[in-house]
Amino acid sequence: MDQDAVLAGRAAAGDAAAFTALVRAHEGAVRRFLARLTRGDGADDLAQEAFLRAWRRAGDYRGAGSYRGWLMRIAWTAFLDARKSAGRREDREMAVLQQESPRNPDAAIDLGRALAGLGTRERAAALLCFGEGCSHAEAAQIMGLPLGTLKSILARARAALVARLEA
Amino acid sequence: MIEDERIVALFAAPERAPDEVFVARIARGVAAEQRAAAARAAAWRRFAVECAGSAAVITAFWLVWRLAPAALPLDGVTTVPAAAAAILILGLWFAIELRPSATAR
Repeated sequence: MDQDAVLAGRAAAGDAAAFTALVRAHEGAVRRFLARLTRGDGADDLAQEAFLRAWRRAGDYRGAGSYRGWLMRIAWTAFLDARKSAGRREDREMAVLQQESPRNPDAAIDLGRALAGLGTRERAAALLCFGEGCSHAEAAQIMGLPLGTLKSILARARAALVARLEA
Repeated sequence: MIEDERIVALFAAPERAPDEVFVARIARGVAAEQRAAAARAAAWRRFAVECAGSAAVITAFWLVWRLAPAALPLDGVTTVPAAAAAILILGLWFAIELRPSATAR
């Protein structure tokens, strides 16, 4: 049993310290995913909501798949819920990527430009598979999609990204 | 493929140390959730105790009404035993709910 599973088991039993250790281990990935997905608009609040949901549902994690994947699924659901309640918004430039101090500052601008033209699902699929290193199966599970659907969404995202990078 | 490598490189983010400020924010949220859960559990326990107490009172009045209506000292009241029992139960309920320890919660 890996370290995350042990900590998740203790968190399910009400151990707040174990849950804090899980937050420390995964906050970077969850916040990066949400920040890129929302373009920084309330990403930390969403991440907080996602982690608190994870705490409330700590007993639901059964060890099938990675804990990070389970957290990402909660984060994705929190994002969809927030978007549903806020309604559709105008696309904006992604300020968050400039806050990330990337290796190459131009890359952030390129990534922002590249992601700007993608739909929400395409963006999420690209972020999970290219940005977070998730497998197709894991990304499909996180987004609650059949594997074939995820693959076709990702293919569309990839084609759009390549086109933008070459433009 | 070269395109895939370019895309992955584009998405790459630098490794960073955990953000302790954010971790502390979540820890505070979790502590607040734990306090709220404890308060909810206490409220449910109190509610269960009061339900049990009310049920006991209702049962007692029902038994009095069914088993010995003639023995009750108030003749007028025994003519409408259900209403009398209901009034008494309501009176007891208000007494329980308005007692100082209950209103101080």
